Amino acid sequence: MRFLPPIYFHLVARSARALITTIGLAGLAFVLSSCDLGGLSPIFPEPVSPNGKDIYDTYFYISLVAIAVFVGVEASLLWVVIRYRRSRQPAGYVVPQVHGHAGLEIAWTLAPLIIVLAIAAYSFVELQKNFQPINNQEMTVKVSGHQFGWEYDYLNGVVVHQEGSLAAEVTPFVVPTNTLIKLQFDANDVIHSWWVPSISGKTDAVPGYDNFSWLKIDKPGKWRGECAELCGSGHAQMQIMVQAMDKADFDAWMAKQKAATTSPSPSPSPSPA
Amino acid sequence: MATTVLPRPKQYDDTFFKPISIWLTTTDHKLIGIMYMVTSIISFVIGGIFALIIRLQLSQPNLHIVDAETYNQIISAHGVTMIFFFVTIFVTGVANYMVPLMIGARDMAFPRVNLLGFWLIPVSIILYYCGFFTGGSLNAGWTGYAPLTEKAFNHGLGVDFWALSIMVWAISGIMASTNFLTTIVALRAPGMRFSRLPLFVWAQISTSILLLIVGAPLAAAMILLEFDRQLGTQFFTTQGRPVLYQHLFWFFGHPEVYVMILPAFGLVSEIVPVFARKPIFGYMSMVAAMFGIVFLSMTVWAHHMFTVGMNTYVEGFFMLMTMLIAVPTGIKFFNWIATAWWGSVEFTVPMKFVFGFLATFLIGGITGIFLASVPVDTQLHQSYYVVAHLHYVLFGGSVFAILAGIYYWFPKITGRLLNRTLGEWNFWTVFVGFNGTFLIMHTLGLEGMPRRIWTYANPAWATTNMIITISSFLIAFSILLFLINVVQSWNHGEIAGNDPWKGNTLEWATTSPPPPYNFERVPPVRSFMPVRDLREAGELVEQEPVLTAT
Repeated sequence: MRFLPPIYFHLVARSARALITTIGLAGLAFVLSSCDLGGLSPIFPEPVSPNGKDIYDTYFYISLVAIAVFVGVEASLLWVVIRYRRSRQPAGYVVPQVHGHAGLEIAWTLAPLIIVLAIAAYSFVELQKNFQPINNQEMTVKVSGHQFGWEYDYLNGVVVHQEGSLAAEVTPFVVPTNTLIKLQFDANDVIHSWWVPSISGKTDAVPGYDNFSWLKIDKPGKWRGECAELCGSGHAQMQIMVQAMDKADFDAWMAKQKAATTSPSPSPSPSPA
Repeated sequence: MATTVLPRPKQYDDTFFKPISIWLTTTDHKLIGIMYMVTSIISFVIGGIFALIIRLQLSQPNLHIVDAETYNQIISAHGVTMIFFFVTIFVTGVANYMVPLMIGARDMAFPRVNLLGFWLIPVSIILYYCGFFTGGSLNAGWTGYAPLTEKAFNHGLGVDFWALSIMVWAISGIMASTNFLTTIVALRAPGMRFSRLPLFVWAQISTSILLLIVGAPLAAAMILLEFDRQLGTQFFTTQGRPVLYQHLFWFFGHPEVYVMILPAFGLVSEIVPVFARKPIFGYMSMVAAMFGIVFLSMTVWAHHMFTVGMNTYVEGFFMLMTMLIAVPTGIKFFNWIATAWWGSVEFTVPMKFVFGFLATFLIGGITGIFLASVPVDTQLHQSYYVVAHLHYVLFGGSVFAILAGIYYWFPKITGRLLNRTLGEWNFWTVFVGFNGTFLIMHTLGLEGMPRRIWTYANPAWATTNMIITISSFLIAFSILLFLINVVQSWNHGEIAGNDPWKGNTLEWATTSPPPPYNFERVPPVRSFMPVRDLREAGELVEQEPVLTAT
């Protein structure tokens, strides 16, 4: 049985195809013209820490190769659809019965091999550069995840408690600008993952051992992130806020925190400054 | 000559219960295959409903369609249902139906093991869903990372039911794999050498080897987790080694991706030559590529764990191995294109789905290279970019190929064609809906939206999420069309005849649907396209059709 007469279907299909093409081209133009416009970005935000910048570059260079491969393969698929469809072949067309071609098969084994080896080598250099545990840090902060929030221990008695919330802005983790800070992660219940896309990639906070990362933010500002590892029903509210201040502002903030810590009634949440 | 006519014994089959008893007790691989496929399609619908609830909840910031705890149960159930109870079960079912036919066998090697293996699947599914009725099912994602699944953080029975369900599932998978391997090795028709096996059968060999190797570690992970939960051991607890669980799980979990995609590759390799009227390009390199994938897929599991803090050289190894999978996959991809090149390609509905598969799976493959690069992965891991990537691989890959396979083999299984008009609607709506849902989902991940969050406050993500939700309902509409088509065509579709597509492989030499014994006489096999050889030599014995137009 037919649900729709074929003539109707072909009309709809034709107009749908035209519509898709238009939307596709418009979408492409939109993406190309507004790469940093919020909403449909083809790359993550411009990072403020050098390790994040290197990730950004790696992503960018892989994209160049990826776009070339994508366009090449999709174009050849499209060519098959347009050129070799039965209705386009002349009447009495004899299909050549080709079973393979050793040269071609070797070529398209080696080409992807060379491409992925290049990408892997480039990524590996970047991996060695930024993902080794560092020991030339100017400051160390112990970051500890729990259900559902973070503690930032500056190892001088000051601890920032960043309790998760979706309703209000969470207490920021305050860092000085242009300072190489080693972050030492652990968790005291389940696995969490500390991720601020504008700074750098994520690092898991796993109970039982320390995990490491670092940051060095080049300008004052506030950046938000979230816990990236499902950690229970409050996972979504486990927001992260990082605030970078000039060295002088940071020292003032730290002095204030120290005073609050040593005062008789210590307040668990420091003022956001 | 006088003959004694023995009175026909009254069989249980003569009663009202005949249809029920047939389906419950049959050892016929074809009926078992149909049961596998029907079970999996029911799971697909259930998993799809979960997906729609997820999309409704995320369509706007700060919504409260379901609460956070229910949401976590729904995302877990969506993943478990789609991966364990839909895709894997469907490809097992279609292989159960087709492998014996394609190699010219009468049945599987162990018909009763086959029956048991199938019935363990409903047991596994019911066990999993028991969690919903006993105070909440698994709520830690389909991966169920410890220690979140440990007793200290998860008191309910949901995790236990999930672990039990997965153990039963793994046993069933091991049974099916053993059965497939024995069948293919031992029951091939005369002339059906290994070098003449259809590529779908080769895909089933590679899948079975893979599942045989990785099924046990999965069961082991579940058993250790249950030891922790019930007996107080400390394998994966906060005091133990939570990351060990991830190693065990992903040693299964990544090859499982290939358990779901290799049969899809096999399907595509069967369908492209038939509709292009050309033999598959590079048969041997296709087989070699599959085994390359089997080997490599077991050396890449830790790419799911690049953020847990491994040694950078270890990370480099897993990065390299992961990227190398692009090589055999690339060989297959180029061979498919070369098969259709210079052909006379007929864009029937199954062929449209195959080209949909090629167009979308490519995107999943390319984003896989981004995710394999350790530095880039630390940004993209656990974000919506990964969700988009895995749906491009599993939906754009496996599900498109599964739909192609259904349109291709439905006439063999039922003797009737699926309605073409509805099929065209099905293809175009699912193609547009799928890309509308998952293409822009990449950007959400790039903007910092983690996966598995119940809701979000960021207004910048609202529009994108709304577009995704609307597109996901287009997919649901499309699947509805597909289901209507299947139900409608099963008994009322156009009569197909025995070989509507002019196929290459042995299943097209018998009737549609095939008799219980499959072949009256197995045709001679002289290449990997036996039926085509016979047709061209004019030796094809036309079978009397089972269904005739009334």
